[in-house]
Amino acid sequence: MTRLFAALFVALLFYTGTDAAETPETILIRQTLGTDLSGHRRGDVDLVLSSYDEHFVSYDAHGSSDPRAWTIRLEDRDSFAEQLKTDLQKNRYETERTIPSIQVRADVATATTLDSGQIVDRQSGTVRTIYEKRFWTLFKSEERWRATAVVTELGDTPATTKKGSNNSEISAVLEREKQGREAGDAAAISSLFAEHFSGYRGKNSLNPAAWQLIFSGTEELEKNLAKRLPHVTYRINRQIVQTQVGARGNEAIAITRENVSTQHARGDVQHEMDRYVMWTLSKRDGAWKITNMLYNFGQPD
Amino acid sequence: MRASIAAFFFAFFAAACSTTEQQITEQVEQMAANPIESAAWQQAVDALAVIGRPAARQLIAQLNPDYYVGENYREFRDEQEKLRTGSARALGRIKPRGATAPLKDRITTAYTDAERIAGIWAVGEIGFDQAGVDALKAQLQNDTNPIIRLHAAIGLLKMDDASGDEEIAQALSSPDQALAQIALDGLGEAKHFGVPLMARLAQTNGPRQNDLKQIMAQVGQGLVGQLDAEDPELRRRAALALGQLGADSSVDALNAKLSDASNQVRFSAAAALASMGQKSGIDFLFDAIRDPDPILRTNAVKFLAEVQKSSGAVEAQLIAALKSEDALARAGAAQVLGQAKVEAAIAALEQATTDAEAEVRANAAIALGHIGQSTSRPQLEALLRDSDVTVAYYAEWALTQLGNG
Repeated sequence: MTRLFAALFVALLFYTGTDAAETPETILIRQTLGTDLSGHRRGDVDLVLSSYDEHFVSYDAHGSSDPRAWTIRLEDRDSFAEQLKTDLQKNRYETERTIPSIQVRADVATATTLDSGQIVDRQSGTVRTIYEKRFWTLFKSEERWRATAVVTELGDTPATTKKGSNNSEISAVLEREKQGREAGDAAAISSLFAEHFSGYRGKNSLNPAAWQLIFSGTEELEKNLAKRLPHVTYRINRQIVQTQVGARGNEAIAITRENVSTQHARGDVQHEMDRYVMWTLSKRDGAWKITNMLYNFGQPD
Repeated sequence: MRASIAAFFFAFFAAACSTTEQQITEQVEQMAANPIESAAWQQAVDALAVIGRPAARQLIAQLNPDYYVGENYREFRDEQEKLRTGSARALGRIKPRGATAPLKDRITTAYTDAERIAGIWAVGEIGFDQAGVDALKAQLQNDTNPIIRLHAAIGLLKMDDASGDEEIAQALSSPDQALAQIALDGLGEAKHFGVPLMARLAQTNGPRQNDLKQIMAQVGQGLVGQLDAEDPELRRRAALALGQLGADSSVDALNAKLSDASNQVRFSAAAALASMGQKSGIDFLFDAIRDPDPILRTNAVKFLAEVQKSSGAVEAQLIAALKSEDALARAGAAQVLGQAKVEAAIAALEQATTDAEAEVRANAAIALGHIGQSTSRPQLEALLRDSDVTVAYYAEWALTQLGNG
């Protein structure tokens, strides 16, 4: 607790911007993202790494905010540290960061950032101007927020679906999730999720700032399933649009297009919708677990 | 022994709580599972309204879009619409005061028409709240959908605000039968609040007069029942509204209220009867006008003035009362005639300026001032030299009120 107050105090000392919706948690998240920026500007690898969770993944958006365009760039913190060390030895960061949005739900959070300024090659003096949008996911442990994932180079470029990529292990996990839903088997469903996974409602938008955090971890999911499954029966027609697994085989991303419908026990209404879902998965303890689930992103075709 | 009794009560209350919670959950699921307005959906709304305040907290929570995340996550917007609409309907019947703020936040264009209409209806049913009035006025003024504007107008009417009256009047004379039916239903639901508007609309030659009269009769029946309400304010409003409706069928019920425990109810019932020309009401008010209790006299003056202004039913009795042997009756009659600006009483009032009692002369002077006819100048100028300084003072004031000529 003392550490939390100390961190808050430090954050407040350095934080000059104010926002009507600011909370102690958002101030701490700003501090984490500010530390990352400071580390880059100072060329301090350890300072940068202090803002990153041990289970960190980096995705490349390739100039698009559509998850169908995203690829896995780095699968763990060690890879990131390696790349960061080289990057900071080579380049000097003269950048600023604004944080347009932060959402917090229990011990998970999302943020969007806008980095602008220049990156200077330390040897040649070559200057590269940057203006980069990023989407972050964060996890709070031991009173500190750390980045668990970042999607870099977001933009407005339309996505092109990567054809022919369909990993059987990932498909099998998503098939089991669907079967669990249809069977009303809460234990089977929650066993497929990482303990601290994040769930989002995409609101048919491709703007990450508009995505709403709806689940923070399996405990919350289990409560939802306990409330929901006794009253509704799910039918899901799930098509795997694409899957990709990182080079090291530890991280995966999948896109599904599905028709989901529910039949209620206490009435004859059937609710139905078509949606895209983005899934990220991680294989940390030998089995693939879902780490992020983004429902209803973009407009269904 | 004590421990076992405590354990019994704990178990009993725990069971009772879980039963209520379970009932709420079941009804909420039934609302989610059936089309809005279907029999099953309506049954769930009714059941939740019957559960009442124990259900209110959850119903209020279900209005908020942010409720449907985490353990309460529901993926379908249609499902949320069923719950939000049903919750608003049930809250409109439970009437928890704290619900107006969350309800008014759900009547904007961000929500479906079903949700908005249910929210507006509930805000009106819960009753006056300044934030609720402001929110409904905003919809009345700005919304392009005539159905939303009409519901907002009806909601305002239920909160005793007449700013939507023209919207209701227009709907009633509209060729659109659905719109007119909403207006009629709203007038029926508005109870005593809708009576002045209904009475006004009944005087016009607009269409649907038969439908309107039918609603007025229904409202009248409801108001007769409301005369026995526990809240004296409801009884008072019912009595006055029955007077405005002029329903002969309510005479017996109003007569019974002449001995109500509440002063205001007795006078309102008397005023209602008087405006219908009923002797019992007129006698009650004229008896009160000469009562030694100044509070009763003040009430009598106030209600007689209202009766006279609205119906003219007591004009002859008031003029006659200026010649009463009782000075209090003469003074009171002069007050009423002045407040109601009865021009036919000018001659009698001018004569009352020579009354032996100073209080009568003062009230006659004030009344002539209110009526404002320049022909009264000589009588008022004569009072400037009155031996009673109060009379002279009011004569001077009255002279400033007279027109030229």
